[in-house]
Order: sequence, then C-alpha cells, then structure tokens
Amino acid sequence: MGLAVYLPLMVAAVFGLTGPPIARRLRPGAATWLLGVGGFLTSAAAGVSLCLLGFTLLAQAPVLAAQGHWSDGVLRRHDPVTTPVAALALIAAVALLARVAVTAVRRVQAVREAHRLADALPTHGGELAVINTPDVAAYAIPGRPGRIVATTGLLRRLDGAERRAMLAHERAHLSGHHHLHQAAALLAAAGNPLLRRLPAATAAACERWADEKAASTYQRHTLADALTQAGTGTRLTVPAVVLPGVQDVAARIEALRAPAPPASPWRVVLLGGLVACAGIALAIALKDAERLFELARQADRLRTP
Amino acid sequence: MARKRREAGSLESEVLAALWAAGQPLTPAEVAESLHAGLAYNTVQTILTRLHTKGAVVREPSGRAYAYTPVLDEPGLAAQRMRAMLDRGGDHAAVLTRFLDTLTAEQEATLSQLLQREQPDPG
Repeated sequence: MGLAVYLPLMVAAVFGLTGPPIARRLRPGAATWLLGVGGFLTSAAAGVSLCLLGFTLLAQAPVLAAQGHWSDGVLRRHDPVTTPVAALALIAAVALLARVAVTAVRRVQAVREAHRLADALPTHGGELAVINTPDVAAYAIPGRPGRIVATTGLLRRLDGAERRAMLAHERAHLSGHHHLHQAAALLAAAGNPLLRRLPAATAAACERWADEKAASTYQRHTLADALTQAGTGTRLTVPAVVLPGVQDVAARIEALRAPAPPASPWRVVLLGGLVACAGIALAIALKDAERLFELARQADRLRTP
Repeated sequence: MARKRREAGSLESEVLAALWAAGQPLTPAEVAESLHAGLAYNTVQTILTRLHTKGAVVREPSGRAYAYTPVLDEPGLAAQRMRAMLDRGGDHAAVLTRFLDTLTAEQEATLSQLLQREQPDPG
C-alpha cells in the first residue's frame, strides 16, 4: 500500500481547517452542500482509510489469514504500514465508528421527536403555530409536513412585509430540508475530529441560505429589518433538531444589507476538488490493498495446492 | 397544483400572523391593509373564511363585515411542551415521579380521575 491511503486523512485535516472560512465567501447554497455533504464524504473517505490501515494489521492474524486463504507472512513482508501505525489506525477506526453510530441514533431520535412535535402543534391544519408569549423567537420544525413556530412577541414587533419575509425564511428551512444538511455535518464531525468545526459552519450557511431564499422573493432590506427587530429580543429554548431562526444575527444582517453574493466558481472547485481528491486517493489505496491481498492469496495457493 | 396549495398555505400563515400581531379583532379590510401585500379584499376574505372553517379564528359582527380574532389553544400547547420536556428528560419514571410531587392534592385528584377514565380503553 502506497501513500495514497494517508491522503484522505490529510484532506480531512485541510478541509476541516479551510472549509469553514472558504464557505463563508461562497453563495450559501453551495456552502451548505459543500460543508454538509462534502464534509460527510470527506469524513467517510478518511474513515475507510483508517479501516484499511487497521485491516492490514488485523489480516496478519493467523485465524483471519486461514479464513481468507491468504499468506500472513506475505502481508507482513510486503505491507509498508508499520505495526504501531496500523494499531493506532485500528483503535481510531473502532472508536470513531462507535461515535458515528451514537450520533446517528441520537439524530434519528431527535428528528422523530421533532416530527412528533410538528404533528401535535395546534396549527389547525396550517403551517404556522403561534405561542402567546412576549419572548421573541421563530423557528422551523421539520416534519411531515414541517411547521413554523413564532411567538406573538416577535409577530408584534414586525410589520406586514417583515412578517412575510420572516415566514419565507423559516419556510426555506423546511423546503430545503436544512436539517438533513445539519445531520450530514454532525455525522462528519463525529466520524473525524478534524472536521469538528463543520456543524457550526453548516448551521450558519443554512441560516444565510434561508435568508437569501427569502430575499429572492421579498426585498433584502425588509428581511434585514425583520432580523434587526428579532435580534434584540430574548430567546426560547428549542428542541435539539429545530432550526432556530436567529443565529449570528449581526453577520446575517450585514450580508443582507450588501448586494446578493456573487457566484465564486473557483472556490467551489477548490473545496469540491478536495473532496474529489480524497475519493480518488481512496480508490487508489483500495486498488493497492487489493493487489497486496491478491499477492498474499497467490502465495497461499502455492504453499497449499 | 401542489405549488398552488403551498401558496395558499403561506397566505393563511401570513393572515394568521397579521391577526396575532394586531392583538385585537380585525376586519378583512384591516387585515388586507396590515399585510402590505397588495392582496385583493376578496382574497383576504376567502382566506379568513377558510381559517374560520378550520377553527383557527373566531369572528364577531363588526358593522357590515366580521372582525376576526385568532384562537389560542393554550392547553394544547402547554401539553405539547410538557411532552417535549418529558421526551428530553431521559428517565420517564423519575421525571413523572418528581412531577407528581409538585402537584397539589386537587391536581392529583384530577389526574387520577382522568387516568381512571382512560383505563377501560386498551392501548
């Protein structure tokens, strides 16, 4: 196995470090996809790399070698991965897989809880549920169908146009399935600590995406005004999976006061290229491993005809 | 078709939000004005009638038209919040036990009455 097997791990390190700052200068839709799904793929490639490194050690165990009909001696001699590295990779792979499993289960539970909540909200069959409280908050609850929750405290602060822009923002969270992008980023971070900054960056990108979606129908300054009004109030506690409508408000208002962000194809290519790099390196590593095991099988066949 | 229904749904939300924001009964003309959306009076009237049919608003005569007020399902919402807290709490038995400790004798009696009423219904 050559150096290709280490490349996805390096890509994860680079993606984790440069992804969030690059994404901030992208259009928010592209940023969300690259951080969420791109991050997830990067994390998966790095995870498979770790498994592969660990497996080269595991496969040297005589029991497994006999089972797989390959020569453990050939693996030991021809495998360039040193035992400590392989052992470390094995431990990391097992620990991270367990973390991903726990995160995935928790996420599914949280989404189910959100669906139940969305179902049971007293909306009289509509999309909007109003909570009568002076607190200022609005959020979207994914479900079938998803619901929007707003407090009277918020509704009373906004004028008609601002209310419409706010509703369009929350609706964009639901129609864009932003909670799935969130989940992808959370799983990516669980699968690789190098990607731990992705969930927060993806959440911020989702908020900006919903802002731009709402601003494409209503006027940018109207939504900025609505956010300015909403930003000064207190917050309600919201369930874990819910996408709160208010987050890093100052940056969002600033972005809305400026013109719509231009497309930045080279940044997209840069981040997308990183993900592709991890994938290609992984394919090469898998090919290398296949060749190594083919060699070991041949040696085994020669020994015991 | 689906798109049309979606738009109708969002108009309903906007009208409902306007009624909540007003904090007092509004006539269709007042709703149309507060929406700043340039919606025709008839459209607003249709939406209000639909909301009334669904039970989301109540109305009272006001001059030649009706004035509409949004309906608050406060008990439903409170129950929903309690349910959400319970789901988040982890150990249901422990949470419920502690909750029972906080109830007055009167509330406990109400609760046990309600539970007895539920009993004959299997599942």
